This record gives sequence, structure tokens and C-alpha cells, in this order.
Amino acid sequence: MDSSDGYMCKMHFQIKNETVVSRAGTSAHEQTCLPMEEALELPLDDFEVTESTATNEVIKYEYHVLYSCSYQVPVLYFRASFLDGRPLALKDIWEGVHECYKTRLLQGPWDTISQQEHPILGQPFFVLHPCKTNEFMTPVLKNSRKINRNVNYITSWLSLVGPVVGLHLPLSYAGAASQDE
Amino acid sequence: MTDDKDVLRDVWFGRIPTCFTLYQDEITEREAEPYYLLLPRVSYLTLVTDKVKKHFQKVMRQEDISEIWFEYEGTPLKWHYPIGLLFDLLASSSALPWNITVHFKSFPEKDLLHCPSKDAVEAHFMSCVKEADALKHKSQVINEMQKKDHKQLWMGLQNDRFDQFWAINRKLMEYPAEENGFRYIPFRIYQTTTERPFIQKLFRPVAADGQLHTLGDLLREVCPSALAPEDNPTPKRQGLDVQACAQKV
Repeated sequence: MDSSDGYMCKMHFQIKNETVVSRAGTSAHEQTCLPMEEALELPLDDFEVTESTATNEVIKYEYHVLYSCSYQVPVLYFRASFLDGRPLALKDIWEGVHECYKTRLLQGPWDTISQQEHPILGQPFFVLHPCKTNEFMTPVLKNSRKINRNVNYITSWLSLVGPVVGLHLPLSYAGAASQDE
Repeated sequence: MTDDKDVLRDVWFGRIPTCFTLYQDEITEREAEPYYLLLPRVSYLTLVTDKVKKHFQKVMRQEDISEIWFEYEGTPLKWHYPIGLLFDLLASSSALPWNITVHFKSFPEKDLLHCPSKDAVEAHFMSCVKEADALKHKSQVINEMQKKDHKQLWMGLQNDRFDQFWAINRKLMEYPAEENGFRYIPFRIYQTTTERPFIQKLFRPVAADGQLHTLGDLLREVCPSALAPEDNPTPKRQGLDVQACAQKV
């Protein structure tokens, strides 16, 4: 089995303690569903921070989606740093997890989000553990078959796991996925 | 597994004589003597260097100490790689002892994972064991085990207890009588010559015609350059030359 592998990548800026800042421009590649086996390295978007006040820090998030052939599911890798390059620590990431997922995180933080080596870049990234992915994706797929609707696995998966680590998908993703039907 | 017991013991009890020296730019109150230690090949740097840390911190002030990290000839050492792997990859052709430099400041954020506690090492180790079982048994064996079995596996490694470790690990190394082996073989191939950290692919233990795959078959398929006659580097597995072990993966 020879699969040239790569990853999907997305950059995102956020003011700490506030909601998402608007982005200028979206890469066309992000809106299509890409087979994971293709070697792909998407161009990074140019983002503009439209608002920032002196007392708030802007954090740059970089999200990568890779495929785990061991678990046969997609895995979300991400890293975060301040604009001056200072990286966020695991503690900061745990603290930044949305309130509704906090309980689950605190039950087993090391099983949920931890720092790991990116399998392609070899650099430290945070990872949302894939072990439980099948648990929550199966109902989604079952349901979509029931209502006879095509579901883009990656879009559905990302919309489920993304918010845990602060990645929110714009509605245009769902629109783009259904255009492929 | 019983006829492999000698190999298992050789791997487990493998040691690397190491000399730890404090980085020259660290601020000390008096001269720091080097510290010598036999490192277990199958363990991890941050798990077995408490004495090293204490030794050097004795000559330093608290404010000059932050997270410890290790380096060999300018290369930061990834604590999450087994010690034997680090040595075989970076220093096997150099004379013993292995000379490692100890740092307490300027942690290389871009190169190394943080290791805030022994919990981080345990989480990493267990995560590797779980991923391996996902490949071998679709996670059935590891998931059927109780938490105390997972703990015993970890404690066996942490406390260098071969029997305690293998009492649990042998279950992870079994497969049903009707099968010829695991579902897939968990492996990673590390080379210093490539950009990506390691090669890991799905690989079945048995070929389509029913023949058992050998290590040579694996290398030919996933890393043919390792067998190129011109370079002919010898693949190593925890320091043991693999020609002798190549009959059966």
C-alpha cells in the first residue's frame, strides 16, 4: 500500500478571551473535499487581523488534519503562538478548551489533548486524540445514510472536533460539501 | 515466545554507558563534575535522569534552573524516543561513553516536546502501546485489560522489572491460533538522512501466498534505500544487528 501522504493546513487568528476575528480571503482548496491519499500541502491564507486592543493578546493557531493509518481516522494537530513567536504551553491549551468540553478534558487530560511530534514535520504540535473518534462519528454516518444525504466525512468530523480546540468552521464549508453531490 | 526469551532479556537489559556534562554557559556557583550513568536502552531520558538533574542542580542557583533538556553534538535529544534508539541513530559509531550535554535554560521549543512530569512520559508510553495494539489486534487486547494491568505495564518499565512488565506484555504479543500473526506489524524506521521523523506504514506479517514476511521484505517494501548495496548500512534494532534476526518478523 503506497499512499503519498500530506496534510491539510489552516491558519486562524484569535484574540484571547474574545470570539473569532474576521479573516480576509479563503483559499479555494479549503472548500473542496480532498481525498486524504493525495499529497497535498495547501497554501496558507493571508489573514488580516481587523481588530485588536492594546490589552488583548492575539494568538495565531495553525491546524493540520492528518490521517492515522493505525486508527484509520483523521487526526487534528495544532499549534498556537503569540504574534511574537512565543508558543502556548499545554497548560494554556487545556485552559483554553471550551467550557462545555472542560469536564471531559479534566477526566483525562493526557488522553484528550497532549503534545506530540508531528509525523511529517517532526516538530512539536498539540494533538486531539483519535481514540474516541469512531465512537462519535458512527452515529453521524448512520444518520446520514438514513436520510439519504451525502456527508463529507472530513467536514462532519472537523465540525465535531474542531470546537473542542477553538476551531470553528464557517457555514460555507457545509455549502461547499453539498455542492459535490 | 519462549525461545525468544533470551533476545527479550538482551533487549530489556541493554545498557549504554553515558557521561553527562553540564553545558558550559550554564551559571554555576562552583565547578560541575561530569556524571556517569548506565542508561537502559528501552527507557526514556526524562524517566531515568533524576540523579543527573540533582547532581547538577546542587551547584546551581534555583533562579538559573528551568526545564532540563539534553543535547548530543548540537542536536537536542527527543526524550520521547527510547534511549537506545537515540544512541543507535546519533552516536553508535562514536567511542563510548556516550557524551551528552545537559541544559537548564533556552529550552528549544521548536525541536523538543515539553516533559512537565513523569505523567507525560507515562501518557506517551501508553499511547505508543495502544497504537501498536490498534495495529496488532484492532485495540481489542489493550481495551479488554483493566486499568491496573496498564499500570503494571508502566510500572514494570519505570522500575526496570522484566517479569512484571512481560506478565502483561505477553498478552499483547499473542495472536489467535488460527491466525498466522498480528493484523499488521507495528514498526517505525528511523533514519538521520531523511526530513520526516520516521517511516510508518501498514504492513501485514503474511504475504498473499501465505509465506511469512521477513524483515528484509519489510525493508524492501517501505525503505528500499536502506538495502542499497552501495551504502549498505546495517539496520539495527536496539543495537542488535538484524541479519541474525531476519528469519521471521
